[in-house]
Amino acid sequence: MEAYLSFAKGPLFRLSLAVLILGLARIFLLDIFAAWQAWRRAGDKTIPWKLVISRGLEWLFPVKRIFNNRPLYSVFSILFHIGLLVVPIFLYAHVRLWENALGFGWPTLPYEVAYWLTVSTIVFAVLLLLGRLLSPRSSFLSRKQDYLWPLLLLVPFVTGFICAHTAVAPATYQFFMLVHILAAELIFILIPFSKIAHCVLMPLSQMICTLAWKFPPETDDAVCTTLNKKGAPV
Amino acid sequence: MKTRPITPEERQRAFKPTKKPEVVEKQKLDVRYHVEDYDVTNRPRRFLEAFAAILKHSNYQMALDHFIRMSAKCSRCATTCQVYQATGDPKDIPCYRSELLMGVYRRYFTMGGVLRGHIGDDDYLTDDKIMEMAESFWNCTACRRCSLECPSGIDHGLITHLGRYILSEIGISPRALVVSTREQLEGATGNTSAIPVPALADTLEFLQDDMLEEKGVVIKFPIDVEGVEYAFFPAVSDFLMEAETLMGVAAVFTATGDSWTIGTGYYDGINYGLFYSDRILERVVKKIDAETRRLKANKVLIGECGHASRSAKYFLPAYCGGKDAYPVINIMEYTHRAWKEGRLKFDPDVITEKVSYHDPCNIARQRWIIDQPRDLLKAICRNYIEMTPSGEDNICCGGGGGTVSIDEIRPYRTTVGGKLKADQIREAGCKILVAPCANCKKQLRELVEDQGIDCEVVGLHDLLYKAIIFDESLKVKSPDENKEESQ
Repeated sequence: MEAYLSFAKGPLFRLSLAVLILGLARIFLLDIFAAWQAWRRAGDKTIPWKLVISRGLEWLFPVKRIFNNRPLYSVFSILFHIGLLVVPIFLYAHVRLWENALGFGWPTLPYEVAYWLTVSTIVFAVLLLLGRLLSPRSSFLSRKQDYLWPLLLLVPFVTGFICAHTAVAPATYQFFMLVHILAAELIFILIPFSKIAHCVLMPLSQMICTLAWKFPPETDDAVCTTLNKKGAPV
Repeated sequence: MKTRPITPEERQRAFKPTKKPEVVEKQKLDVRYHVEDYDVTNRPRRFLEAFAAILKHSNYQMALDHFIRMSAKCSRCATTCQVYQATGDPKDIPCYRSELLMGVYRRYFTMGGVLRGHIGDDDYLTDDKIMEMAESFWNCTACRRCSLECPSGIDHGLITHLGRYILSEIGISPRALVVSTREQLEGATGNTSAIPVPALADTLEFLQDDMLEEKGVVIKFPIDVEGVEYAFFPAVSDFLMEAETLMGVAAVFTATGDSWTIGTGYYDGINYGLFYSDRILERVVKKIDAETRRLKANKVLIGECGHASRSAKYFLPAYCGGKDAYPVINIMEYTHRAWKEGRLKFDPDVITEKVSYHDPCNIARQRWIIDQPRDLLKAICRNYIEMTPSGEDNICCGGGGGTVSIDEIRPYRTTVGGKLKADQIREAGCKILVAPCANCKKQLRELVEDQGIDCEVVGLHDLLYKAIIFDESLKVKSPDENKEESQ
C-alpha cells in the first residue's frame, strides 16, 4: 500500500497534473488562435469590448441573472463551484503538496472553514445531481458525462473528508487516501477532454460569439464556387 | 415572466398540417412551412457538403469547436425560451435545438467523431434528422434571448442561423422568404414587396398631399436627390402598410431641415438573408451600398425595422469595406439626437392613452437602441408604462427570424411563438403598443387579434407625427390668410 501511495503521490500526480495543464493550455490556445484567425478574416474588425467584457463578467460573477430563473438550482450551483475550487487549492494539506511540487505555497483555509466547505460541496453535488435527474427538461438534455461528473467529483471529496475528519484505522486511512488521490488524478486527466473544459474556455465565450458573427467578406462567391452553384438563380 | 403551456386545443390549432400529404411525400419534408420543390436525393450527403463548404469560408467552426467543448447542458435556457414555455416540449429547449447541429458537427467534422464513425457507430446523418432540423430551426424565432441566460455564453441564435443557412443550400427554406428575395435580387422591381417605381412615386405623392392637408406644411419625400446626408431605406412593406410611420419620418426631416432621400434604384431595407442565408445577406447588403454610392449620400439611414437595421449596421462593414463602409444609423437614433439638440418640438399632451414600448430583438439584444425611443415616448405620452422584462432582456413578439413573413404558420406564431408576449401585453394593460419594426408590427397585430387583446400596435414615428409641432415659418398660408396679409 505504501508503494502504491507513493507512486500515486509522485509520478502519477506529476503526470496527471501535466495532462491537465497542457490539455487546458492546448484548448485555450486553440481557441485564441481560432479567434485571431477569425478576426483576421472578418470584414468588420471592430469588437465591442465593453459589451463583451460586461457580459463575460456577468457570468464569471453571476449575481445579476441567477434569480431570473431556476433560482434554487442556480444558488446550489454557485455554492458547489465555490467549494469545488476553494477546497482543493487552499486546504492546508494540499498547500503542503503544492509547495512540494511547485516550490512555493500560499495561505491556507482554517480547519473549520475547510470542514464546512467540504460538507457543502458534497451536499450541493448531490442536490445538483438530483436536480438533473428529477427535472424533466434537464434529464432530457443530459448525456452520460453529465451524470458521471458529479459522481466522480464526489469521490475525492468524500474520501478526503473521511481521511481528514474521522478516526479510522491506519489501513483504512491509506485505502481511502489512495482512492482520494487516484480519483483526483482521473479528474485532472479528464478535465481537458470533457465539458469541465469550461473552467478555462468560459471567459472567452463572449469574444468567440462576437467574432463568429463577424463574417468574412466575399463568402457568397467562395461558397458558390465550392458548391458548384455559380450563376444559379436565388 | 412565465407562461403556462398551451392547451391541447391550442396545440391542435398551432400544429395543424398546412400541406397536402402528397406534397409532404414528394418533398419528403413534414414541416409546416411551404418550400419549393427541391432535389430530395442524397439529402444527407448534400447537407454535409454544404456544411463543409460553409465552414471553409466562414468563422463558424471556431464557435462550434468552442461550444462542443464546453456545453454543460444545464437547461437554464429552457425557462427563457418563449417557444419552450408555450409548448412544454423538451425538443424546443434551445440547447437541444443547437445539439441537433452540434451533434452532426461532432460526428463528421471532429477527429473523435470521425474515428467513432470508423469504429462503426450508427449515429449517421439521416433524412429524418435533417427533417427534425428543418422543423426545429424554424420553430425558433431567432430572438437570441437564450444567449443571455446561458452561463457558458453559448449563442444558440448563431447555431440556428447556421443551421438555416446549411438547410437553404440543399433547398429547404420557407418559400415565402425565397420568393421575396428572388424578386429583390433578380426581379424587375428589385424589392421584396414587388413595388414598381411609378407606384412608389404615386404613393409618396398621395402621402404628401395628405400631410399638407393635415399639418398645413409642405412635407416632402425627396426622391433621387444626389449628395444628401442620408440615403433612406425603410422596410419596403412600409410603403404599403405603414404610411403613418413614413409620414412621421418625413415630418421629422421637414422640421429639422436635414437632407435625405429615397433612391429609386433601390429602396428596400429588408434583408431576409439574415434569417436563412449569409450568401443572400451579402448580396442584399451590397445593394444598399451600391445605391448609397449612386446617390452620393454620406450615411445609410434605416427606417423602423429591427432586422433591416441590424443587417445593415453589422453587415455593411462586414461586406462593404470594414471601417470605410458607410455609417449606418436607425431613424430613431436620428430623431432622438435632433430632439436632444432642440431641433424638434413635440406637444406633450396629444397622446393620452396608456402607451408601452416593445423592443425589437434585433436592435435591443445587443444594447444598441433601448433608451432613445423611450425618451421620445416619455416626451409625448402622458401615460407611458414600461413592460417587464424589457430592453436587452425583452420578450420576442413571436414572429422573429423571418417567421412573420410565412403566412401559413400564423396559427403557430400567435398561439405558440407570441404567447408569452401576449401575456405580457395583457399584464401591462396598454392601449397603444409602440413597436418600431415592420416585422414586430405585423406579428403583434395578428397576435392581439387572434388572442383577443384590446391594443393598437403602431410605430414610434406614427405617434411623433401626431405630436410634432412645426415652426410657424414652415406653415403654408391658406388663401384667406394670404389675402389678409396683402391687404
